[in-house]
Amino acid sequence: MSAAAQSIPRRAPAQVMRLSRLGSFHQCRLSFMRILTRRMAGEGWTFTRPEFQIDDQGVGHAVYSATGPERSYSLVAFAHDLPDEQRSDRVIAEAWDATFALFDGVPTSEDIARLSRNVPLQEAGRVSESELTLSRANRSVRLWDHVVARLASGQQPDPEMIDSVGYLMRTTAVYGSGKFGAADRERIADRPEMQAPFQAEMLTVYLIRTFVRDLVTHMARVTGGAAAVPLDPGLARQLGIGNSTGLGMAPFIVNHPVLFNNWIMVREEALARVRSIETAQADEIDVFLDRLSRTEISVARWTSAHPLQIEKLAHLRADLVTLRHHLKDAPLQGPSPWERLVVWSETALSEEGQELIVSLILEPYAALVDGLSHCMADDDHAFAIDGAMPVDQARSLLRRAFGWALNIDWTARENCARAWYVSEEKLEPRLGERFDEPVAPYEQPLAPARDAAQAFADLADWPDDTPIAAFLTDHPEHRHTLRRAQLFRRAPYGEIRDNTIGASVLPIDMLRAKLSFFGATHFDPRSDRWVRICMYAGAPYPEDLRPETADAWVYPEAPP
Amino acid sequence: MTFSLNEAETMARKAARGAGYGWGLSEDAGKAVRWLCSQGFDGCAALAALLPASDGKNLFRLSPRVDRQPWTAADGAGLCPIHTGAALADRAHALPDTGQRLGLIRQPLLLLPFVAQVAAQRGSTMTLSCLSVQCVTNGERTSMTGSCGDIWPEARVVPGGTVGAPTPLLHRASPDPEVWAVLARFAHRTYAPATDESRARGAGSDLSDND
Repeated sequence: MSAAAQSIPRRAPAQVMRLSRLGSFHQCRLSFMRILTRRMAGEGWTFTRPEFQIDDQGVGHAVYSATGPERSYSLVAFAHDLPDEQRSDRVIAEAWDATFALFDGVPTSEDIARLSRNVPLQEAGRVSESELTLSRANRSVRLWDHVVARLASGQQPDPEMIDSVGYLMRTTAVYGSGKFGAADRERIADRPEMQAPFQAEMLTVYLIRTFVRDLVTHMARVTGGAAAVPLDPGLARQLGIGNSTGLGMAPFIVNHPVLFNNWIMVREEALARVRSIETAQADEIDVFLDRLSRTEISVARWTSAHPLQIEKLAHLRADLVTLRHHLKDAPLQGPSPWERLVVWSETALSEEGQELIVSLILEPYAALVDGLSHCMADDDHAFAIDGAMPVDQARSLLRRAFGWALNIDWTARENCARAWYVSEEKLEPRLGERFDEPVAPYEQPLAPARDAAQAFADLADWPDDTPIAAFLTDHPEHRHTLRRAQLFRRAPYGEIRDNTIGASVLPIDMLRAKLSFFGATHFDPRSDRWVRICMYAGAPYPEDLRPETADAWVYPEAPP
Repeated sequence: MTFSLNEAETMARKAARGAGYGWGLSEDAGKAVRWLCSQGFDGCAALAALLPASDGKNLFRLSPRVDRQPWTAADGAGLCPIHTGAALADRAHALPDTGQRLGLIRQPLLLLPFVAQVAAQRGSTMTLSCLSVQCVTNGERTSMTGSCGDIWPEARVVPGGTVGAPTPLLHRASPDPEVWAVLARFAHRTYAPATDESRARGAGSDLSDND
């Protein structure tokens, strides 16, 4: 690699922060799952299973401990016998096939007894500051039954079945950050292994995957007795953990503008660094081409029944063909190869394809990219308003962050057709039809652009040099918006540049943006506001986790 | 039962919103309660005492008229500490060295987190006092002599002072269950009643999960 001083700037927020582009993001080197597996492998974490007390009905508990240089974390897993009619991925469910907590340390039998009375109840129970996450999962019935039956009869499962489903269980929530009594983020934020975002949640899912493999093997042995065989390690590695994510995740990226900014800005910084490279070495080109080939395998396995995603996948598959042709005509050996590739992609490929290029060209450059993972958290929580800021400066910030929104007619039905609210029933965010349902009085502050336009209009008659504190005394209803506008100074990628309450808004775009940073693959929308994904498919299990296996696992190997 | 500070903040924010405060001020109320809990004060109780008194009132008349000395509310019930605290924090660098005098104010403990914000922004200690009660904070640690009580006839916020024996830093909130129930009752007002339509459409689709 030869990199001159960085010459290519980051892409502009106006280009990046559109919902359709955010909804086309893919995992990359900076994804939270890969940050975790790289760290655990690099530091030589050890993994044990101190308890596995599951009976012949598949009911009981197990403990999986992961130990790093300074501390241990333990997944406490409870397996249940759930009748089919109670199996629901919706957050309104009240029973699950398995429930989990991530314990801070190694639990005593008293801890396990306490957790056994609470964790199976999920939201209806309480955990404590000794727990970092609370989670639950349901089986994929068709794959679970198939795998148990095959293994019990001494056969391996059908690889095509494994391909088509991808996971034996899918989680329907992984709660952290103090929810339901768990430890606050502040309690763990200064630990190196927890500094990057969502590391406790990612560790939870990593250990759940191991538990699920062990549980299916156990059930096959119970069913088949001496005839049963263990799951082939190669097939096991292909299995991920599914996740079914609804609207709860969409408000998160609006409610945490600095945190979301940090994720996006770090990825854009990584992209700018790679685009600025003058020449690519042969081994770097090899890495890119290897990841591209493996992406072709992954995309071939990616299925969805949703019309929108079917269309996006068709574009992505066409993009991959176009890219192969392009690489023949414009080889990467020339000057500024990555910059040329990105510029070409912006007119030649769909947004799915463009964002895939972004992820792929980061792959050869661990040294340039991976260190940026330290800049993705937001543990500063700046909150105070600078009340001395003059009105004209506040106006200017609103114009920079929300200029696109200031001339929209926010009273037109199509521009404010939806309203985000929280339902009484399960205290979860929902999206309603403002003009058809009685939800407007309960609207959550999830339309920052509309609110900014209103604040901007109300600022019109105020003298330029008046401190914004005076305006806020008269207009406390704009306090939320002015706080956001001031955050924009250090979070230029913190605001989505699209209407989040318009008639055509697709919440799945917001879900995908967040899930792509987790490192999820195979996005499969089930509606415009609910998506299934796969996590850790291809990842090494604890016994195989080494620096050589810790990172590129997300790209499937070619079948032998 | 103890709660995480995140739970206390979230509950306080929703409760303030449920009592009619705007989203911005509700966020301030949430942060204020969280900070108080982390400094060993019962922030939840102070907010639970404040909200029933603010409920149904024109909140504008509980906010300080900042063009008068001392700052007072138009409503005879006295100043709301959330509005007053926000006004103080927004003027952190504009406060005169002689400080700011306040008239009748309810739940003055809730002012303290905002005074702490002022101290943090100015990089110096601040003193909040009324008669023999005195709180000194540098933003991160706080000392208090006496106890705040429900209402002060007047108050002063003055730059300077020395933090004495600081209150303990806590990482959990331990509100009285009745206090928590009051906050929960206000928070509940922010939830939309479920309808068949919202069940069916609001959250997802009716596809089967048994697959």
